[in-house]
Amino acid sequence: MESKIMKPVLAVYVGLFILFLYGPFIVLGIISFQQGPEGGPQFPIIEWSTYWYRHLFGMVPPSRIAPLPVGDALIRSLTLAFMTMVTATVLGVMAAQAFRKHFRGASVVFYLIVLGMMVPGVLTGLGISLLSNNVIGIDRNWWSTAFVAHVVYTFPFAFLVMLAILNRFDASVEEASWSLGVSPITTFRKVTFPLIFPGVLSAMLFAFTLSFDEFPRTLFASGRDQTLPLAIYGTFSVEIHPNIFAFGVLTTLFSFALLAVYGILMALSVRRAKRMAMQEDIA
Amino acid sequence: MTRSDPIFRLDGITRSYGPLVALDHIDFTAENNSYIALLGPSGSGKTSLLRVIAGFEKPDSGRIWFQGRDITDLPAHERGIGFVFQNFALFPHLTIFENIAFGLRNGPVKVTEAEITERVRANIEMVGLSGLEDRSPDQISGGQKQRVALARSLVMQPKLVLLDEPLGALDANLRERMQTELRAIRERLNVTFLHVTGSETEALAMGDKVAVLDQGRIIQYGTPDEIYDSPNSSDVALFLNRYNLFDGKLQNGTFRGSFGAVSVPAVRANERDVYAVRYDRTQIFDTETAALPGPALPARFLASEYLGSSIIFLFETADHKTVEVDHHLSFGEPREMTVGQDYILSWDPEQAIVFGKEMAR
Repeated sequence: MESKIMKPVLAVYVGLFILFLYGPFIVLGIISFQQGPEGGPQFPIIEWSTYWYRHLFGMVPPSRIAPLPVGDALIRSLTLAFMTMVTATVLGVMAAQAFRKHFRGASVVFYLIVLGMMVPGVLTGLGISLLSNNVIGIDRNWWSTAFVAHVVYTFPFAFLVMLAILNRFDASVEEASWSLGVSPITTFRKVTFPLIFPGVLSAMLFAFTLSFDEFPRTLFASGRDQTLPLAIYGTFSVEIHPNIFAFGVLTTLFSFALLAVYGILMALSVRRAKRMAMQEDIA
Repeated sequence: MTRSDPIFRLDGITRSYGPLVALDHIDFTAENNSYIALLGPSGSGKTSLLRVIAGFEKPDSGRIWFQGRDITDLPAHERGIGFVFQNFALFPHLTIFENIAFGLRNGPVKVTEAEITERVRANIEMVGLSGLEDRSPDQISGGQKQRVALARSLVMQPKLVLLDEPLGALDANLRERMQTELRAIRERLNVTFLHVTGSETEALAMGDKVAVLDQGRIIQYGTPDEIYDSPNSSDVALFLNRYNLFDGKLQNGTFRGSFGAVSVPAVRANERDVYAVRYDRTQIFDTETAALPGPALPARFLASEYLGSSIIFLFETADHKTVEVDHHLSFGEPREMTVGQDYILSWDPEQAIVFGKEMAR
């Protein structure tokens, strides 16, 4: 009886929730097709066009609206996110691997690592800024100080993901490999890594996306050259045109593409993980 | 090396986990080219011992010698000792062929592709897995996995293979077949198997020698016959699951138990006074029978269990102790008995084994 009422109510609730979640994106998507260059970021749509998309790539005759200054910032952000992803994932895998054996002070080290994602970003950013300028005396750059800030922030995520994966990992396959005369390093490469690869993928995705749109830490730690979130914010504070929305749609599509790649790679390795799980079931 | 040379030797191996002592000063010498069964109840430290020999864990103290070399400080991958896991631990991301080729491909010695193929094929054939080379581990049965795990170890031509309850995950039918096969394979390859098991039948059936492990110590080591016929302590007799053990008091060569007082000719040193009679040496008589071979133990008949070649009769004594009688059917049909009725159990005192704190005469 209860579920007959509850079910539709919950369904409507979920529907509203998802609408709320994706509402901004839908509005953004619609307005990005506003007519240009006169049309602004508001309804109604004067006329559907792809003007602002062409505007992004400089494919329209010059007008009073300057092209979005995001080209360099985009390259910077992608590079930074990639650097952060690689570093944070490598560190995360190594740290989680270290935590498989109990060592003295393990819990203290654990909380110290996890603190990196708990401390408010503004504080970390400000701290790094002060440290580099006043204490060490080095310049702030997106590829140096901001990079460190990003790694400190994303490394705990990668670490936690890998910790969860390695927790469930059956160490006997590694021991089996050693007993066949295979060194621990080769064992890691040929046995452990292929089996924990789904986790590595997730850690990479976390690190990349978190770094790609990181704002507060970067604001203080990056110095003169801006990353994409900073550049977009910069244009916001002057005047808003639908070209930003067009750009937003493109970056979102890029994120979806990233997710799709992740999904495909994941599906491939989950099939492998399933085999492993079945093997354990029988044992 | 001849058969009598030791393949490995343990020298005072001790290993504890916090307050728990898993291995307590184990001294042990294993003959080359033999099948050694290591029997112990769960928690006796048998898996710990295997892991220490394999190099997965370090002993707190003591030395391990393998083929005349001290390997205590060598890491597992430099020991050249094979290991077969209870859960098989096959590499799930590799085919059967690649599982078996793994050590050859990734080991320190460069092996040519042709030799890898040849050795893997030979081993696959030996364990009877031909035709399954390209399957993945999730596409084969438990018994087949067991063979892959074995072939994967044997292809490296180790002189010692440690098997951690290798038959534990198999069903009874398969277990018996694998017992025979394991023995046959070992004999062909001139390799020593150290087979850990919690099953006394498995240990007695498979081992050329059986070591009984209890509370981190090897309490008896000998041939299956020696262990079976002549357990050196009441604990061993208990693990064998073939003896009725009676508590009582031993004094001046007389054992007093629930069956009265019996004079005992010989006593084996033990921590407690225990009187042991094998299941198949215990006989059943009617309550009126006058001519008994030995002491008389009144007991109530509870149930019987048909085992194919023999029948196990379960009795309960007045002090609520279960006593088992094993009647082998080659000795004729068993007597008719009524559940709940009292009978007299007796045995030839010469065939009993008496353990005592005090050594008699």
